[in-house]
Amino acid sequence: MPAIRELLLEAFQPSLKDNEALVDAILGSSADLKKRKFALGGDTAVSGLLYYVAGLADSKVVELILRALVVQYRESHREKEGPETADDIVTGLLSNASAKSCSKAEEAITSVLTGDTLVMIEGVGEAIVVVSRGWEDRSIEEPVAENNVRGPRDGFTESIRTNTAHVRRRLRDPRLRFDEMVVGERSKTDVNIAYIEDLVKEGLVEEVKRRIGRIRIDAVLESSYIEELIEDEPLSPLNTVQNTERPDKVASALLEGRVAIFIDNTPSVLLVPTFFWQYIQASDDYYNHYWVGTFYRIVRYVALIISLVLPSIYVMLISFHHEMIPTSLALTIASGREVVPFPVLLEALLMELAFELMREAGIRMPKPIGQAVSIVGSLIIGQAAVQAGIVSPFMVIIVAITGISSFAIPSYSSSLAIRIIRFPLLIASGTLGLLGFATVFFALMLHALSIRSFGESYLAPASPFRARDQRDMVLRMPMWMLDGRPNFAQDEDRIGGRQRPKPPTPTEKG
Amino acid sequence: MNRIRLSNGMFMAMIVNMIYAKAIGVTQGTISRLIGQDMWIATLLGTLQGLLIIYVLHWAMRRLPGRRITDLPSLGDALLGRWFGHLTALILVGFFLAGFGPIMITFVYHLKDYFLPEVPLAIFIVSGLAVGAIGCYYGLEVMGRLALLGILFIFLLNLLIVIGSIDEFDILNMLPVLEHGLPNALFASVHFDADWALAAMMAALVLPHAQDGLVRGGRFGAAGIAAGGVAIMIWSILEPAVLSAEVSSQYTVSCMKLARNAHVGTFLQRYEMIMIALYSVPVLFEIMFTLYAVSACSTRLFHLKSDKAAILPSAIALGAFGYWIVEDHFRAIRFLENIWPWIALPVAAGLPLLMLLLRLLLQKRTERAAPYPEEG
Amino acid sequence: MRNFALFIMLSLLAATTSSCMGLRQINELAIVSAVGLDVGEKPGSVKLSAQIMRPADVRGQTGAPSGGTGEPIYSVSAEGDSIFDAIRNLGRFTSRRVYWAHNFLIVMHENYARRGIGDMVDFFTRNRELRMNTWVAVTPDSPDELISTITGIEVVPGEAVDRLFRYNMVTGLAVGSNMMNLEEQFLSSSAQPVIAKLQLMPRGISNKKPEEHGSLKQVELTGAAAFREDRMVGWLSPEETRGLLFFVHDYLSGVEPVSCPNNGSMATLEFKQARLSVYPSVRDKEPEFRIRLSTEADIVENGCGISLAAYRRELEGELSDALRAKIVAVLKKAQKDYRTDILKLGDRLRNRYPIEWSRLRGRWTDAFSEAEMKVEVKTTIKSTALRTSRRDIH
Repeated sequence: MPAIRELLLEAFQPSLKDNEALVDAILGSSADLKKRKFALGGDTAVSGLLYYVAGLADSKVVELILRALVVQYRESHREKEGPETADDIVTGLLSNASAKSCSKAEEAITSVLTGDTLVMIEGVGEAIVVVSRGWEDRSIEEPVAENNVRGPRDGFTESIRTNTAHVRRRLRDPRLRFDEMVVGERSKTDVNIAYIEDLVKEGLVEEVKRRIGRIRIDAVLESSYIEELIEDEPLSPLNTVQNTERPDKVASALLEGRVAIFIDNTPSVLLVPTFFWQYIQASDDYYNHYWVGTFYRIVRYVALIISLVLPSIYVMLISFHHEMIPTSLALTIASGREVVPFPVLLEALLMELAFELMREAGIRMPKPIGQAVSIVGSLIIGQAAVQAGIVSPFMVIIVAITGISSFAIPSYSSSLAIRIIRFPLLIASGTLGLLGFATVFFALMLHALSIRSFGESYLAPASPFRARDQRDMVLRMPMWMLDGRPNFAQDEDRIGGRQRPKPPTPTEKG
Repeated sequence: MNRIRLSNGMFMAMIVNMIYAKAIGVTQGTISRLIGQDMWIATLLGTLQGLLIIYVLHWAMRRLPGRRITDLPSLGDALLGRWFGHLTALILVGFFLAGFGPIMITFVYHLKDYFLPEVPLAIFIVSGLAVGAIGCYYGLEVMGRLALLGILFIFLLNLLIVIGSIDEFDILNMLPVLEHGLPNALFASVHFDADWALAAMMAALVLPHAQDGLVRGGRFGAAGIAAGGVAIMIWSILEPAVLSAEVSSQYTVSCMKLARNAHVGTFLQRYEMIMIALYSVPVLFEIMFTLYAVSACSTRLFHLKSDKAAILPSAIALGAFGYWIVEDHFRAIRFLENIWPWIALPVAAGLPLLMLLLRLLLQKRTERAAPYPEEG
Repeated sequence: MRNFALFIMLSLLAATTSSCMGLRQINELAIVSAVGLDVGEKPGSVKLSAQIMRPADVRGQTGAPSGGTGEPIYSVSAEGDSIFDAIRNLGRFTSRRVYWAHNFLIVMHENYARRGIGDMVDFFTRNRELRMNTWVAVTPDSPDELISTITGIEVVPGEAVDRLFRYNMVTGLAVGSNMMNLEEQFLSSSAQPVIAKLQLMPRGISNKKPEEHGSLKQVELTGAAAFREDRMVGWLSPEETRGLLFFVHDYLSGVEPVSCPNNGSMATLEFKQARLSVYPSVRDKEPEFRIRLSTEADIVENGCGISLAAYRRELEGELSDALRAKIVAVLKKAQKDYRTDILKLGDRLRNRYPIEWSRLRGRWTDAFSEAEMKVEVKTTIKSTALRTSRRDIH
């Protein structure tokens, strides 16, 4: 038996039998593969064959095709004799929105497996592919990981077309482009690269395509597969590719001159290039008043710092630099620690571990059980462990504040990254005090400074410093001041100047 | 390989970082031992001299061919043959090696004596050089960006010290002005000069990489020195005013004394740890850059193929030297006060001038040998 | 890169495995809240007593049960040839490492202070642990007793004294001497140290035996000890200390009772915005000082039973006299009795006339005690607080 690769390269023949043998050889017999024989125009002399995958193809569309071929053919082709070309059938007979002829087996097979219907007719040298995709989909829901109070609530789904439509609906710009690619030897996953032609950073689209085109993988099941294969810094714990479930985020990223990568079968869309600070910004910043937006953005920066360094600083203070604690606080801490049998570093590690355990146990449990986990966890950790003298109450508070702060970071994946980075910092400060803290922090800073995301410095616009982009970094300036795009975009002017609204000047009345 | 580009801001930030760490504490202590409460005058005078020398340096550098990191040695080659190039490289290596002494003194005496007296000295040196090596590995541009963050940290640190000390500020402690006379103040400023000598040599090394390095680098270098001078002046004013000159002169690291005294209200009695956490960025930057400079120059000296190969041996050499200096306080102070300034100043001011002089003398030979065309 | 990572990991490993890193949990420390210094029994030796806090009892139970005797402090003393030696000897019976960073107070016995405080200043500034705004005081009583005397409101006696010092300026009868300004004065060539005085007074009233008034001793902060170089030379009374405060602190406001112009009863004036200016001058190579105090005052208590509006000028005069008396008293004590420049007048001369100062500094003690002083006090009564006496209308 010839290898499937060779079979795929073969072309269709006029003989239906040969074609049937070819398709059967490639696809074999599969429970979900449906094969329907029909007679063209009801004429038993000219038989035809139709393939589709049940569940992927919409049966209504298949019925429509059959009606056209069996019933309507007779009416329109009363005089003509014999079959004509596939193109004639497509143009003259079929009323489906999308149909085309194809001569290569590979194309036809891929289409069938995507949900299209393959039609073959005796005597016609080509096959016809009619788009009949129509499977059951999850309906559009609120994005789970990125909720907000004000603003659009639609999230991406698993269907790439729905997803691109979400973005297209937001940007009716003729220059918005979706370039198509297919990744995965076996999965043949659709990947769309979205960008706005006259805004996107020059050369970025080519770079993205080059990196995606380099991927050799059997299947792409989630966007993270692509993410890990196109990252700039594969060894870094920091993620240099942003992912989001929110169409509005994607639209705004496109407007900044960035590129979005849509991947079929996953609701998360990748955005490149990515900057560290984007993980701290939330859509709510822009949808609420700018004073509010700025305030909560600053709160989130504080949360970032707390979740990164608070346990380390506590451990460092308790085990090395007791003189830095204000006296009354030192006494309170010391009295809480009086009976704790563990060194503070171990205590901190244990508590962090307990916290991560609770989080991890709660996250995948069905909701009712998840609640039980958190109740039991908080009772054990918060109440019993302190009363039993295993941990000090202060440590519970520290771990809790750290945990809450890490939840305050809007990006789930980056809050996970920060949680991981925390541990080397914790261990270093617990063993070497300020020296350990300073060196590890410095090394982390060096690392963050050194990495790039698709050619852009990861920490921009803080470093390298770009004064113009500061308006949307720590602060969220009012909309009428945000008149610039990041400087890598081709067109840096967003809106005209002098947009600041003001009340109408009172006109004098005679 | 694409050329390293440093923005003008980074270039200035690197200069500030390079001066700051040692100058606020160790140098101020030294100066206060010499001229008491007129520390700030010496610092001011030193800054002015720094401005002058950076202009001279830039002026000299512009007229040298080459303009790469190992600029001076290749010129040396062209001028008087290989031996002279090697000699120049050797002097540069020696300069930065010696400069590492005061930096390590600053780093270790801040952290070890005030925070972790029981941690073995070797760990300080190893961890400092380890992060320095990481920085060198990442290269000059990352250092430049780090320097920008360093500026932010320096600013915060100055803010904290001002907040903590303003309560105890006593202008009477600053008087009388110029009690020991101007000549003494000038003499004392030599110690501050030694700080910016390091910065000036750094500027000479990175100048070709800076954005407007050769066109207007002198101006940016001077701005960097001036900004550093201002940042340090805050300390040289606070130290005599808050502590009194007599007290500052008692301490090796007088800025730590000031930091220990700083307190916000009665609740936050001490917070020098926060300040040192901020301070560690400029001081680690200094370590990192010195390591970078030594490895870059020794690459030239031993004809190594890549910069990276020299990092580890340089780190070991610096570590050994640093350990030897820091280990003994008396030796450290003697090196700091009596030896280092007399190494720093002649090299920083003399080497580029000597080069320039030689180049003028042997102009024809250079032009024939210069591999790079002159630009305006 | 990988090598460096390995390098860091190895050094971290080395750090964790090597024991002596100075790692000490906060609950393994004996936190000292006050320290007393006295002369030891052996000549030249030091007797050091420390008040150590027991955190669990200071704070009560926070969370975990931790047994305690109920006594928040644990006081111990030890002798040694030097302060450091005495501290090492403390370690013979304290189960935890004695930790000085949270010390509130260093109190010295008079005898110790008269013997010289150079070693004390040196030790406590050389030590990295000690915070610089630890209060320093001298006491005529036993320092052991003083530091272990439980005062009424605070649980830890050291903390109580800390608050006494903190609100010292309300009464304005003692100097707020801490390590920071002591070190400065001690090292300065143009000023002499002056340290607050603490003593035990039977002031407290026992709840159980209220009839025995003053059965409990309380720590009182009042007065000061004057030093010449490193040796104490004598005490200053509370009144003299108030005079001194104008010179050495930003002493802005205080209360001064003055006798009524009509009868022997008293009216109380609160002066505010006090400003002391010193104008040094040199005549015939000898220093002279013109000292000028200007202040505003409010009437806060009127016991005279008459309207004071008419007597404003007289009251101002009374207040000026009262304040001048205090300044003159401290000047006399410093110049004639103790012959020590605790008023920082040398500093003022040095700032104004550095050249003369360099000539005078060698014999400053003599020059200072012979220096001529002119004291002027100018007060203005501005307000009568909330009430204006009804009789004012008539």
